[in-house]
Amino acid sequence: MRVIAVIPALNEAARIGETVQKVRSYVDGVVVVDDGSVDATAEAARADGVTVLKHVINRGQGAGLKTGTEAALLLGADVVVHIDADGQHDPSFIPALVEPIKAGDADVVMGSRFMGLQAVGVPFSRKLLHRAIRIFNSLVMGIPRKLTDPQSGLRAMNDKAARNLDFKQDRMAHCSELLRLITRSDLRWQEVPVRVVYSEDTLAKGNKNMDAVKIAWQLLLGMFDR
Amino acid sequence: MLIQIVLIAILLGALYVTWKRSRQNVITPPEAVLWSLLWIGAGVVIALPQTATLAANFFGVGRGSDFVIYGSVVLLFVLIFKIFIALDRVERKITDLVRRDALRDLPKHERKD
Repeated sequence: MRVIAVIPALNEAARIGETVQKVRSYVDGVVVVDDGSVDATAEAARADGVTVLKHVINRGQGAGLKTGTEAALLLGADVVVHIDADGQHDPSFIPALVEPIKAGDADVVMGSRFMGLQAVGVPFSRKLLHRAIRIFNSLVMGIPRKLTDPQSGLRAMNDKAARNLDFKQDRMAHCSELLRLITRSDLRWQEVPVRVVYSEDTLAKGNKNMDAVKIAWQLLLGMFDR
Repeated sequence: MLIQIVLIAILLGALYVTWKRSRQNVITPPEAVLWSLLWIGAGVVIALPQTATLAANFFGVGRGSDFVIYGSVVLLFVLIFKIFIALDRVERKITDLVRRDALRDLPKHERKD
């Protein structure tokens, strides 16, 4: 089975090279989507076995993931792995994500930060945010409460799922939209525990607490834009 | 009253432009009907201000002028929301174009399709 990792990246010249190197040892190919960076992200990502695509203007993480997923399918991926560029996801968990798909037990496997493995450096405000998003997801989006991680960006899916999950949210709301699509489809999904390392850098660049409002607004607009 | 004549003249102009745009296929006929109803409704309220009071009494709002203000706020909210949705649609089309452009860089010899 050909496993291809998709890494959307925005202004990650300082970190993308290391992330790509770490991810490469667990997959058969890597697609990096430079999402309109103003630094040398694309150049820093280039290496053997790495396909670098470039959005000419910034379109958001969701848009980057979708471009990368389409590219991975065109490159013959049987399994597509989504992983962040900033190094907060530990690539050594990729085999655990891919294994249930290879075994035919699942179509989509999501990494969960809340299944026993303690995240490193997670601030209290971020924990509150996750709780709020989880409540929003279940009450408004209809995403089952049994799903433990409402905003996991580390996931793997087989080619069938990658083709069928037609997510349209370009920016932060893609995560909730994907969860809704996955849990409402006939795809078999499961979560596996993963560890996330938060650093000052990733927290400065990652979601802010006020982003919860933006996500809700984007999802609301998306409901009318069909 | 002069103000009534001026406002009604403006509304007649708006009505004319609405149907002109409909003929030019800029807006759909149902949209033209909705806009026309709005202009005609505003014209009725301007020509016969007591109709606003009747409507205000019906909805339980104190005065006719209050009713017009409340109605305008709701209408503006709906129109702004429609603009947000239209913008969202344009954003997605831009993303499609950017994606198509990015995928053109995918080396042909690597493709398995």
